[in-house]
Formats: sequence, C-alpha cells, structure tokens
Amino acid sequence: MSKVQTMSLPTPQPLAQASGTRAVWRRLGRHLPHYALLSLLAVITVYPFWWTLVTALSTTGDIYRFPPPLWPQDPSLDNFIEVFNTIKLITFYKTSVLIAAATVVGTLVICSLAAYPLARMEFAGKRIVFGAIIATMILPAEINFLVNFITIAKFNLVDTIAGVVLPNLAGAVGIFLMKQAFEAVPGDLIDAARIDGANEWQIYWQIMLPLAKPALGALTILTMVSAWNQYIWPSVVMTNPDNFPLSVGVQYLSSAFSSKTRVVAAGAVLTILPMLIVFLFTQRFFLRGFDGAVK
Amino acid sequence: MQWRQLTQALMLLAGLALSDRAMADKPRLEFWTQSLAPKFDPYFKNLVDRYNAANPNVEVVWIDYPWNVIRPKFTAAIAAGRPPVLANMDVPWAYEYHLNGLIQPVDQLIDRNQYLAGAVQDVTFEGKTWAVPFYNGANVIAYNTALFKQAGLDPNKPPQTLDEQLRLAGIIKAKTGVAGFAPTLGPTKLEGLMSQEGLDVIRNGRAVFNSPAHVALVNKLATAYRSGALLKDGLFAQDNFQLSMAAYNSGRMAMLVTVPAALGRVRDDAPEIYKATAVAPVPLSPSKVAAGGWQFTYVVPKNVDPKLLPEIGKLARYLTNAENQLAFAKLAGTLPTNRQAAAHAYFHAAPPDAGAAEKGVIAAVQNLEYVRTIYLSGVKDAELLSTKLSSAVEQAVTGRKDTQQALDEAAAFWNKKLGAL
Amino acid sequence: MAHARNRTLTAYLFLAPALALLLVFSFWPVGFGSYIAFTKYNLIDAPVWVGLENFRDLFSEELFTVSLKNSALYLLVVPVIQVLAILLAVLVNNQLPGIKLFRVAYYVPVVTAVSVVGIIWNFMYSADGGALTVALNHTLQFLHLIDQPIGILTDDRVALFAVMFVTIWRGLGWYMVLYLAGLQSIPADVYEAALLDGANAWQRFWRITVPLLSPTILLCSLMSMLAAVKAFEEVQIMTDGGPSQSTYTVLFYAYKFGIQELKFGRALAASLVMSVVCIALAWLNFRYLQPKNK
Repeated sequence: MSKVQTMSLPTPQPLAQASGTRAVWRRLGRHLPHYALLSLLAVITVYPFWWTLVTALSTTGDIYRFPPPLWPQDPSLDNFIEVFNTIKLITFYKTSVLIAAATVVGTLVICSLAAYPLARMEFAGKRIVFGAIIATMILPAEINFLVNFITIAKFNLVDTIAGVVLPNLAGAVGIFLMKQAFEAVPGDLIDAARIDGANEWQIYWQIMLPLAKPALGALTILTMVSAWNQYIWPSVVMTNPDNFPLSVGVQYLSSAFSSKTRVVAAGAVLTILPMLIVFLFTQRFFLRGFDGAVK
Repeated sequence: MQWRQLTQALMLLAGLALSDRAMADKPRLEFWTQSLAPKFDPYFKNLVDRYNAANPNVEVVWIDYPWNVIRPKFTAAIAAGRPPVLANMDVPWAYEYHLNGLIQPVDQLIDRNQYLAGAVQDVTFEGKTWAVPFYNGANVIAYNTALFKQAGLDPNKPPQTLDEQLRLAGIIKAKTGVAGFAPTLGPTKLEGLMSQEGLDVIRNGRAVFNSPAHVALVNKLATAYRSGALLKDGLFAQDNFQLSMAAYNSGRMAMLVTVPAALGRVRDDAPEIYKATAVAPVPLSPSKVAAGGWQFTYVVPKNVDPKLLPEIGKLARYLTNAENQLAFAKLAGTLPTNRQAAAHAYFHAAPPDAGAAEKGVIAAVQNLEYVRTIYLSGVKDAELLSTKLSSAVEQAVTGRKDTQQALDEAAAFWNKKLGAL
Repeated sequence: MAHARNRTLTAYLFLAPALALLLVFSFWPVGFGSYIAFTKYNLIDAPVWVGLENFRDLFSEELFTVSLKNSALYLLVVPVIQVLAILLAVLVNNQLPGIKLFRVAYYVPVVTAVSVVGIIWNFMYSADGGALTVALNHTLQFLHLIDQPIGILTDDRVALFAVMFVTIWRGLGWYMVLYLAGLQSIPADVYEAALLDGANAWQRFWRITVPLLSPTILLCSLMSMLAAVKAFEEVQIMTDGGPSQSTYTVLFYAYKFGIQELKFGRALAASLVMSVVCIALAWLNFRYLQPKNK
C-alpha cells in the first residue's frame, strides 16, 4: 500500500511562496522517495542506450567484456568521426528530417480532419467507415509493402519522399487517438458555438484543435519516432542509396567485411539522440504537468 | 495562414514526386550487391568503369544495399516488374527464389567448368544451375591460445576431428571454467554438422537420422553439454553467430568456428584476444564434405527483358572471372569460386606478418574444393522439418528426452511430411 | 432531410483525404492480402485459388497450434503494460525539477534500435553469467524451487515470459506518452474538489484518474492487444522460436515459414487466423471499455 502511495499523484503543492534555492531543496527533499523510484526505473529503461553510448565513446578494451564497463574507456569522438567519414551522414539526416516532418504534418492534418466527423457528427455510413478504419489495424498487413510498392511505381513515385510518406499518413491509430480527444471536448462548448452560427469547419478549427493539443502532441511524438525509425519501407521505395534516410543509411556501417561494433554503436547513438532531444524540448507544448495546473 | 503554408508544403511534396526517370537510349544493366558498400566502392567503381568503357552499347550501374533490406527490396522489385539484371544472394535465398519461380537458370549464360565443383553443386537444383558463383566463405576454427595454455593444452595442436574438439572443450571447461565452443545445432545448421560427420539426413526420400550412428553423435553432444563444454547461449538457434562472437570476444569461449573474414570483428572488438588467436581448418568428413561454406552468388530474375540475356551473361561472366574474383578475395579476405583464381599462389602461402584473419584464409583454402553450403533441398517445408529435427536434438542434448526416442519421433514427423510412410 | 444530406456531405469532405489514402494504401493491400490467404501466389503469376488449403495445412501443424497458444498467452503483457504505463504516466505528470528528463528516460526504449535491444537483453539473459539469470537462480534456489541453475532463454518454461518482459520494456514509454496526453484532459478543478473533500492520493487515483482516463485506456488496451497477438520482433531477436519451439508466436511462424520462404499464401493465412482472434478481442474491448456516457 505504501508503495502505491508514492506511485500515485504527488500532493499538489501551493507554489509561489518562498522562491529561491532553499525552497527548491526543501521540495526535492520532500519528494525523495518519488525521485528514488523515478531513478530506479530510469536505470532500467536507459541502460541499453547507456551501454551503446559507452561502447561508442570508448576506444580501447574488449567490447563484450562481462560485466560491461559503466564508463567509457579512453573516451574520444573517433568512432563518431568514423561514422561521418564512412557514410553520407548529412545527406541521410536531411532525408530523415524531411520524411519525419512531412509524415508528422500530414498525419496531424489528415487524421484530425477524419476524426472530427467520426467523433462529433452524425452521418450516413459512420459506423461502416469507422469499422473499416479499425479493420486496417487488424487484417493481415504482411504484404502491404509489396502491394504498396507496385502502387507507388504506378504513380511514378519511386525514389521520392512522397512515395515514402504517403502510405503512412492516414493511420488508424492517429484517427482513433484524435477521435478520442475530440470526444472528450465538452458538448456545451460545441452547442454554444453552433448557436452562435459557427459552421463545422469553424468548430473543428477554432474549438476542437486547440483543445486537443495534448493528443496532437502525443501523436506528433509517436508518429515522428515511427517515421524516423522505419527502414524496410523507405529502403524499398528509394532506389538510389543517396536518398536513404538515416535508419537505412546506418546499416552501411555493418557491412559484410568491415563491421566495427564501436562504429555501429556510434551510428545507433546518432540515430537515437535526435529523437530524444526533440522529445525533451517538445514536451512543454503539450504537457503542462499537474503542479502547474493547480495554482 | 498556416493552411497556405501547409498547402505549399504539400505542393512541394507533389513536385518532388515528379520523377526524373529519363529514358536512356542504351539498355541500363543494374546489378545489386549486398553489404559491400562503402568498403568496396573503389573496387566496384573500377570494375564498372572498365566494363562501360569496353562495352559502349550498354550502361552498367552498380548499387549496393544492406543485407537486411536487399531481400524485401528485391522481392518488391520483381513484383513491380522492375528488377535488377543481377542480384547478389546467398545460396539458401537463391534456392527459395528458385522454388517460387522468381529467378531463371543460368546454364546458357556461363561455363560451369570455370567454377569450383563444390560451388557449382551448391547452386544446382533439379539438374540446372540457378546462380552464378561469386565469392565463398569456409569455416575455420579460431582458438584462444591463452585459454589453451591455461587448460594445459598444446596451443599448436588444434583439434583435427569433432570428437577431439569435444574432448578439448571438456578439458577447457574443467580447467578454466569457460565454454569450449559453440557448434551450430539450430535448424538448417544441424544438417551441415551431420553431413560433415559423414551421416546422411535423408536417403531415398526417407529420414534416416535415427540410426545408431546419429544417436551416438547426439549423445556425444549431450555429454559435452552436460559438462558445460558447449556455449549454451543460442546453441539451438538458427543463427548463433552474434552470441558466439560475443562470447569468444569476451573470453567466455575458447574456440570460435567461423569464416576467416569474420575474424576482423575479433581484431576490432577484442584486440587482446585477437593477438592470442590461432587458426586451424575445420575437420573434413570421411566423405570429404566441408560444411560451413557461405557462398554468395548472382541470380538473374525471371522477369528481366529476355532480349538483354546475352548482355547479362556477359556481365555476369565478367563480374566473376578469375582476375576480378582474385582482386576481390584479396580485398575482402574471402575465398574465390573461380577455379583459376583459387589456384593462385596468394591462397597457398601466408605472408610472414600475417594475423589470424589472413592465416584463416590459408587454412580455409585447404578444403576449398570440398566446401559446401549445406541446406536441406528438394523437400517440401524444409524449414519446418529442420526446425523439428533441431528441436528433437535439443531435447536429447539437454537431457529432457531419450536420444533415440527424440530422434525417432522427429524421423516419424519427417516421413509423414515426406510421404514416406 | 436535406439538412441530414448536407451534414453527410460535410462529414465526407472532412473524411475525404484520409479515405482516399486509406483506400489506396490500406484497404487495397489489406484486402488483397486477405484474398492471397486463399491462394497460391508467387508475385509474378496470377494467384491461384486454393480455397481453405492453406488453413488446413496450418491446423494440421502442431507448431502452429503451439504458436496460437503462445500468442494467446502473450496477451498477459496487456494488463501489465497498461497498469505500469498508467502508473508511470501519473508518476511523471507533475512539474518536479528534472521531470522532463525522466520522461525522456522512459521513452528511450521506444527509440532504441531493435539490434541494440537484442544485444543487451541477450546479455542480461545470458546462460553464462547474465545478470538476470544469476539473480533469478539465486532467488529460486533460496526459495528451494530448483536444485539446478536454469537458463532463462534456454529453459522452455520461462523463455516465453522472458521475451514478453522485453515487449513490456519496449512498450512502456509508448503508452506512457498516450496516457500523459490523456491526463492532460482531466480538468484540474476536479482534483481540487476531491482534495477539499479530503480524498487521499489512492482514492483520487481510483475515483478520478482511472474513470476519466477510460477513453485512453480503451485506445491503449486495444493497441496493446493487437500488438501482443502480433508480436514477433522480440522473438526474432531473442530466441528465434526456441528453446524446443516454445516461443513461437503466430506472426513469427508466419514470418519464418511464410514471408521468409516467399510462401505468401501460408503467411497470410496464419495472419488471417490471428485477425479473427483480434476482431473478437477488439469487440470485447469496445463492449466493456467504451465509456457509456455518450
């Protein structure tokens, strides 16, 4: 029971009084058990990344030593420089950013548009449309990449970013997520707007979207990561290796006869890090946190 | 406002979509390799430039794709009707593409006698040759001499037979506490081990791996397993390369059975252990089969333009001729499949300053004529049968089932599937 | 009447871009894939209708039945992952100093490349001295449950659970983000009112957080269920189906004996069987978790 206590909501603290470091320390002290638990969990989740980072930063010693070292040995950036010298890192990054950005923007627009009538309008065929969308999550998708590549080739989109991005925009998960968010908006707000003469577009644009910011934020983070990490599909669409995103490009580090684990690890770090940084800095756009809410 | 920007962005995407595939006036011959870039960029660029200069009637283009994307990519390219003219595949993959009717025989395109017998046999299915041999790998035993010394063994006397390897592994475990080696007992690999020991898996369309000789072999493995002489991690997985490499490189295993080119990983990842590493050929079976080949080939997709076939043949012969194979083998530390290249002095005398990786090539070449990439072919559901056999051996080796009983059950399963009952 | 038609038209205008894309890139391949399950198909030649043959082949296979059972067992990860993800989200839904870094830390497994996940977890589970193997054996021997040390990935009694654990580890951060977004939509004054009523943290969690989060719980548990029955990447990197074929899941089976061998009919038949199970699960999910106050 006591464990549950620590794991549930921290008691909201009245802010504002006694600013300054002393207050911060007092606050930290009060939350010590909370922090202990947070740190323990963090160790479990971060460890593999930490191992990769240590491996990438070290230049000497045996990689697979057991137990593995916790800190880099003879740290240097040599392995990262070797990544830079071996593959077209900047080109790959550029493609990855373009793919991720286009996927996120497209997904947000298309999924939220589709979700609005599903959540808030009564119209003929609603249940069938929603059922069909859910069905795409469930039915076999194993050969989608083959069928979609044939389609992409017919549209003359082979070797283009559009070819990589288009099939991923209208995802059932995104539509479902936005539908849930729109359903949570209080009905009075919409009724009031309707009485004021707002049309559906205005309700969607001026009421729904601003109120669904947390869901849009979550969808951004999740879509970005899957667009960033996918590698089979972009590798099928792109025929010129210069057009590969980073997720495919780093695979050239583990080529048949020159695979250096430390350099591969550096490549993995370079792939993972941007996503973590983006998550760190985009949080404030959609997560206000509990304390801030209780003033 | 934002909408306008968004529309612009979408327009931009649509603009990117207008592809620039200008129709070339001469035929474009695209060939794919797997996981050879960027290390072999200069080699292939040189190869292609020379060819294009000598053959102005065609335009040859080389593209390399990483190993874990080339296969879906190749499959999708065939499905969309835009395949390359040649694609670099290993033997089991070539076999699967053949089974599904996606590649065509190359007998009309090459002279089989130019290539080593074992290599050609690897890609001969139902009487026809289905791929052009390119380069080969052959297993060697790399062993940690420091651990040999620690166990009181002579580091100059590597094991000559599987029995001896098992015996040494037992001693190493007893004296040093680390595993001796990691045989591959997983699906499709076990058949190789049996062939290497001169034991048939199938004879006259019936499973025959429950004979007393097979039982004895499995029992030997079981004894070794119980004593801890075999590395347990991934012992029954289809591919335990990563795990056994990790174990060898961390000093948790004394002998590593692998292809010479992979020893570069030891050199880069575990420099101390590399210095103590010596190399020996793998045991040869009484029937002169060296399992553990790892041949890479070029396949020709079924739906290439038939008019191009003569040109494709010419290109394939060029890519795998003696001169080009020798140059590649020297660069990559692999073995050639071309007879004339294999006879070259380079493969028969190690330079004085050779490390384990270079000595590995010399050791591997000793078996070159007999090296085979072993896999179960000519039966339906081969992978499924193989998985069943491996599972039976696992239960026997780990002592959860009597060996004879486990193998009998697996053989019954096979014979049912093979329609031999 | 005209009004209703007008509304329907507006609704479909909103839906048009999504439906157009879905039609081309989802309905068509998924429909084609479902059709392929009843055929022999090699990509080049037209598919040949074989009726239920692929399904008969599957169900005559003991390994497929084992895979089905394992996939069903895999559903155990759903409640675990959802409960943990909710707790995690609640735990980081505040503005303590450094909390943003902790959120990132829990998101790391989602971003980590599959290959790295494989290396590390094989390390942890290694039969020769892996940290978790040693810990588990000490515990079990202390409790006198075993006499001989066991290997985690080499023992068919525990291997599947070990693989499931990796799935949980990889998925937590993903659902945490969704639950965090869900928590944002709970108005702060609801908590304030509860505080005034003297509700403690535990009561607030059960009486406010959980009910108001139920739409998100519906979404997440649906996705989690589908992901669980469709799990195969973890099997591929951790056990390759072993030991003794004890960690085969349906999709791993489809992948290994279908896609990898280019036997698309068989792969899609296996996958379609799974879909039937998924449809049943999705129906149950909607039935019992859909909020009734609509």
